[in-house]
Formats: sequence, C-alpha cells, structure tokens
Amino acid sequence: MEKLIDKKRLSDWIAALADWEVFAPALEDGVWAWKPAGEDVRLEHSNVKQPPKGFAFPQREIYFSFEQIKGEAPKLTPKVPETKKRAVFGVRPCDGRAVPRMDALFDSEGFHDDYYWARRDKIAYVGLACNQPVNATCFCKSVGGSPVSTDGMDVLLTDLGDHYFAKALTKAGEALLSVAPGEKPSAGDQKKLKDTHAKAEAAPQRAVNDAAGAPAALKANFDSPLWETLAQGCIGCGICTFLCPTCHCFDINDEVTGTAPMKGNRVRTWDNCQFPDFTMHTSGHNPRESLGSRLRQRVCHKFQYFHENFGMLQCTGCGRCVSECPVGIDIANVVNKVTEHVA
Amino acid sequence: MIKLQDIRDTARDMLTKGEVRAVIGWQAGSRGMEAEPVTITDAAQAGNLVWDPTCYHNLSLYLVNDKKAQAHAKQKPVLPIAIIAKGCDARSTVVLLQENYFKRDEIYIIGVSCEGSGVVDKKKLATALNGVQPTAAAFDGDDYVVTLPDGSEKRLPAREVMANRCLECREPFPKEHNIVLGENKTGRGYAEPFAELAAAEAKSGADRWDYWERQFDRCIRCFACRSVCPMCFCDECVVDSIELKVAPATTAEEKATRTRWIERSNTRADNFVYHMTRAMHLAGRCIDCGECERVCPVNIPLRLLNNKLERESREAFGYEPGASIGAPSLVASFLDEDPGSWIR
Repeated sequence: MEKLIDKKRLSDWIAALADWEVFAPALEDGVWAWKPAGEDVRLEHSNVKQPPKGFAFPQREIYFSFEQIKGEAPKLTPKVPETKKRAVFGVRPCDGRAVPRMDALFDSEGFHDDYYWARRDKIAYVGLACNQPVNATCFCKSVGGSPVSTDGMDVLLTDLGDHYFAKALTKAGEALLSVAPGEKPSAGDQKKLKDTHAKAEAAPQRAVNDAAGAPAALKANFDSPLWETLAQGCIGCGICTFLCPTCHCFDINDEVTGTAPMKGNRVRTWDNCQFPDFTMHTSGHNPRESLGSRLRQRVCHKFQYFHENFGMLQCTGCGRCVSECPVGIDIANVVNKVTEHVA
Repeated sequence: MIKLQDIRDTARDMLTKGEVRAVIGWQAGSRGMEAEPVTITDAAQAGNLVWDPTCYHNLSLYLVNDKKAQAHAKQKPVLPIAIIAKGCDARSTVVLLQENYFKRDEIYIIGVSCEGSGVVDKKKLATALNGVQPTAAAFDGDDYVVTLPDGSEKRLPAREVMANRCLECREPFPKEHNIVLGENKTGRGYAEPFAELAAAEAKSGADRWDYWERQFDRCIRCFACRSVCPMCFCDECVVDSIELKVAPATTAEEKATRTRWIERSNTRADNFVYHMTRAMHLAGRCIDCGECERVCPVNIPLRLLNNKLERESREAFGYEPGASIGAPSLVASFLDEDPGSWIR
C-alpha cells in the first residue's frame, strides 16, 4: 500500500490511530527526544539523541518482584510487561536497521526473551528517509545501509516537500497506513520519489573504508598497540554505548525495597562495556582494565563478534557515538586505522 | 592573541631538550570541527598541536589519569609531564596540587590565556548556524571564525556563542604556570559569576522542585559528568561497587548485603542521590570548568548544582577553590570566625 499524505494532515493520521500509543520526536531542553505525539508533530528532527531501542528494551525492566514472609515460601510475582500497541514515528533508516539486529539477538540460541518480545511484538516503526545526511557524522552507506533503507520499518515516509510519500512494508504497516488520509500516488509522485531517493543515496558521507574486510582485519589486529593509542583520550564514560541503537548488554540486580518483610524487585538494567565494573571478576581481577581493551571490545563487537554470530555488522552507521563522544573518539576512524594497520 | 606556533615551539623545545616526558594538549579531531585531547611524547608530534575555540576539554583530567597509570605500573618517572592549561584548567590543577594528588615538580604548566575569547558552546553554535555543521573554528580577537562545509567562512562575535562557563569565567588567565602564552587579561565582564545560578534561584521552591525532578528523570546515568571531571578521581566511585573482594569464604549474605549506596537503575530517586553525592563531593573543589555540563548528552544543567556549592563556600567561608597551592582545602580546614558554633 502506498499513499501520498499532505504534511498538514499528519496530525489527522495520528488522531485516527486511536488504539495505538503514538510517539514522535520532540525537542526537550534542546535535545530531540521520543515523546507521546501531540497535535503538532512535524518530523523536522535531525536524529533523536537516543535511538528508539528503549521502546522494546527499556533501560530498566523489572523481571519479577519478591517477598519473603517468615515461615512461608518466598513469593515471586512475574512482571512481564503489558503494553498497548505503539507506533513510533520518525525513525531514521540507521535506527530501522538496528531493529532486525536486536530482534536476532533477543531470539537466538534457542532463547526467546519474553520481556523484549512482549514489547517488541506490539511496536510498529514508521520510518523517515534521510533526503540528505542529517549529521556530519553519518556513515550508514559504508556499513551496508542506505539513507532510504526500509530494514526494520513497518512504514517508510519520504519527504517530498508538501507531502510524505508513505509506503507500507508489513501487515502492521498496512494497518497503520489504511487509516491515513491521502490518495494513491500518481506516476509523477513515483518519479519524484525515485529521484529523491537517488539523490539521497548519492549524497556524500564519511565512511568505514572496508566494512566487508573489517571482521577478518580486526581479528588479525586483536593485539595491536593501536587500541591503546586510539583510546588515549577516552574518559571511560558510557555515552557511546548507551546512545548506540544496537548496544544491548545488560546487568541484573536485586533491588531491595523493604527489609521487614524482605521484599524488592529483580531488575534488568542496561550495562556498559566502558564501565570499570563491567568485567570485574569476583576475585577482584579485571581482565579489561585498560581503556584500550574496552574500546577494542566495543569496536570488535560491532564489526567482528556480532558478524561472526549473526552474519551481519552490528554497527548501522548512525554516528551517535562519534558526534556525542566528549573527547572525539570516532568509531569510523578507529576501524579504518586498525584495519589498515600493517603489523 | 596566542600564536599557535608558540605553543608548538614550546612543546617541541621541551620534548627535544628532555625537560618533560610528555605534553598534554589538543590536536585536530577526525570527525570535523572539534579538537581532541592528545598526549604527545615525541617532539615530531608537536606540529599536530592546535589551539582553537573547540579546545574546551579540561586537560588536568589527563594529569590525574597519568598519575593513576604511573601508580598502577608502580613507576616513578624522573621527568615531569607538561600540560597546556587554560585559566580553568590551571585552577583545577591547583586544587589537585592542594590535595597532594601530585607534587608541583611532577608537572609543568604551559599556561594559555583565554583572554577575551573563551571556548565555544556547540549547541549555541548549532543554533546560530541553523544546524549547519562547521568543519573548522578559529580565534580572531574577540570573534570566532568558522569554516562552513562549502568552504566559506563566517565570523561570529565570541560572546554570542561562547560557553556560559566562559561568559561567567572567574579567571581566564592561568595564574599558576611555569610559562604562559597570551595576555594577562583578568575578567571578561560579559556576565557576573553565578549569573545563571541566580536566575535559577529566582524561581519558587515548588518550581525548582518540579524542574529538578524532570531533569533527574532525564538522566541516563552514562556517568560522563563524573568521567570527565578531574576532581572525580576516586579509585572506587560510590556508584560502582567494584572493591568487594570475594574469597572462597565470602558468604552469599556478604555479597548480597554489600553496601550499595546507589542502585544501577536510572530511577529519579537513584539519579537524585548520584547527582547530590557528586555535588557534595565537589564543594570547595569545583572551579567551574563546566565540563560536566558540556558533555551531558541530555543537557542537564549540571553547573547549577556545582555553582550553588561553590557560592556557598565563598559566602559562608570566604573560600575560593583553586586560588592558591598553599591554601588548605575547604573541608580540611577551619577558621575561628567560621559560621556555626559547634566548631568551637
């Protein structure tokens, strides 16, 4: 299904999605954030500071609550989330490409993560193609993506000036688009779409020079001294990882909320390979003590380990870790330097 | 105005003559306009050093990291390490010296005076340029000149896109130095110190509470504010419990009940405790380099918290952090005239 939607009627479409919770980018404190869609949704964002991964994989998830009453068996109450159907508007193609990567991970090795899927099964992503790179740090094309990629999307919108060209890509996308106001695109609209996409794909970007060769080249350079050199300025914060659309490591803790009786929650929270306690062993030994070893872990996970496990690069080239790093560590530059290094 | 060549020549000379083992400075970044911190050990690298409005990083952090690395390697280097220090970097270095983090002869301070220029605020610049991302930025007197992607140049008065911390700068001249480049221009006169704090405090208590609830709800606990802070040098931060050594005899009870002051969850309450703890630990130590606020990915105005305690320590105890190496630290000293009778 394809429709040409007048931009002025975007809010009518959102209003028609009565049985959906709709989210869209909004500026909050100078930062693009995902917010419940109000009446004035305009999709004029560059990219949202945080990727949409939190819709299916929130930073904090309660697994179950526990309570120990004296003389009784411990009482455990599962907390598998129950959400309404959610439509997320304005997802950029790099973040769309993160979706199949997260899906693969949370349904792998015979394990289906009920918490992830309870949310994920009810989400539809309404993408927005990038007519030009939204940020100087974008590099989606060089990692197999495209500024008009439909991967992970249920609907893809393309900005054609006064209108969006909308294309449904899945059953959920058809359901969303069926209630949208608009008409069937004409042959002229189709041509305009084709031209817009061609122009978008031709726009120059920064690049990882040899993404296809990266898994093998990184493997060969595991012991390279370059890792420590490139991590020299690293401060060990968690920005790159927490803002990454595909970083998914998590920690599990029991949070005690009361002691008489003992009760609390078992929670899953995002974890971060850049933090000192990420690999801390119970003995006190930390196998990844240096910042170089942590940078290597993150880069190799994106460009080697995930590829070995799932047959695809994990990095989608959104450029957040590049633009947001407080000290200029640049994953495209790191991959290029290490893979082009001849020992 | 500082000539870049002077910075490069100074670094090259010192490394060539073997007076220092390394120089901490800035070099051009790979991602566009922004400079990035670098530690050079070879005189041949001195030509890579830069000095421009994106040299916002407080490099005294790397003096701390260097000291930690030396301690970890059980080394005691003979030569000092040099740091290129703006006014704020020099003040935080003085705090570290006051606290004996390292000794004065272990470091060599190449002061660079910010004069009237300060450093740029990326967010203000993005607004001023309607989102166009420059490829380079340079000082020119009291202006910044930025290069746009099409190669054209645009001149902007520095004060319009300068970081708020620089508008409110306490002292742009690095008083503590071994050598110094640039003019001794004290005070910038663009905004009074604590101007933003005063504006924030003018709101009602209820409004302030709502404001901070919302800010703490937005925190993602990436800990960039802590990681970038030269004063946050604790080996074990209150938020990471990494020091509990588990032996075969350690019981499950001991592991489960180890002290966890702050949970991993980024809930409002835990975020509140984290930020309050950090603010209290910086009282009388924070010199308002403003790096915590610059690096926050969700724009939480963290300077307000630290400024509040800085002003408290000035008003209640007449204490100015980073002013003098010989001065005792705020929390390790008292005067007879200090307010509060309990001390006597």
